[in-house]
Amino acid sequence: MTVIIIMVIGIIIGLKIFPEKWHKKNQHLQVVCVAILIFSMGVKLGSRDNFLKEISEIGLSSLILAIVPILFSVIFVYILTEKYLKKTDVKKHEGEIEE
Amino acid sequence: MMVIIAILALIVGVLCGLFLFTDNIVIMFDSISNITLYILMLSVGIAVGGNKLILKKMREYNLTVLFIPFGIIVGSIIGGFVSAFILNMTFADTVSISCGLGWYSLSGILVSDLAGAQAGTIAFLSNLFREIISFMIIPIIAKITNEYTVIAPAGATSEDTTLPMIMKYTREDIVIISVINGMLCSAVVPFIIPMMYNLLK
Repeated sequence: MTVIIIMVIGIIIGLKIFPEKWHKKNQHLQVVCVAILIFSMGVKLGSRDNFLKEISEIGLSSLILAIVPILFSVIFVYILTEKYLKKTDVKKHEGEIEE
Repeated sequence: MMVIIAILALIVGVLCGLFLFTDNIVIMFDSISNITLYILMLSVGIAVGGNKLILKKMREYNLTVLFIPFGIIVGSIIGGFVSAFILNMTFADTVSISCGLGWYSLSGILVSDLAGAQAGTIAFLSNLFREIISFMIIPIIAKITNEYTVIAPAGATSEDTTLPMIMKYTREDIVIISVINGMLCSAVVPFIIPMMYNLLK
């Protein structure tokens, strides 16, 4: 919930006072934050007491239980959205900023 | 580029957690990742607010956006059933694990209570993997499917951690749908895990 409130505050800042010319910097900030978040996830994972033992014993099962549900989620959402949601042809490529 | 940064950050993080960091430093990362997430959400909010088209765009959507969380949940349940055949585990275990929708902290605890420590650990790891894999494949999904489907792998994480990736590879108005999706999925997870487990055991 805190996260949503903070985001709403951000939206208001973006609407009212955030200068246009800083948007590129804002994007860079996001990349840095994502890198720190993933690094933290790695730290949490690697610091588990029996991480290496866990990974060798149940790593593969866990991976399959991640990949297969992802795959089916993607298939279902793709079918449903292709059928029921209006498509737009705007495609953004990596690094591009929307005008 | 983003994917390379993500993979490197993950590998270096795991190595640091394994060999370098003491318990005290590891505990600090709870607050570090929380604060980082807050900064990130503020930044995402600013990007959304700075885009004048979004409010206009949002009026074009209606309840049809609910197809996205619906598809994610149904897909994850079916993915759980299919995984049971691959892994020779019970439906109760695999489906309750797959219903974590990427929320690893909660599903780890819930599944431990229901199905024991081993299944709980798998729930933690597989849902963490779901989040990590989502980071990695969002650019690919964005290329080969439509922009709504980019939200699908992320599941319950589409409102926070994977949100900037989704924004980077789609558009700002998808961000709003992504937040709604994440909130709905997160609301469902605490109920659907025990429900599925008790239904299937």
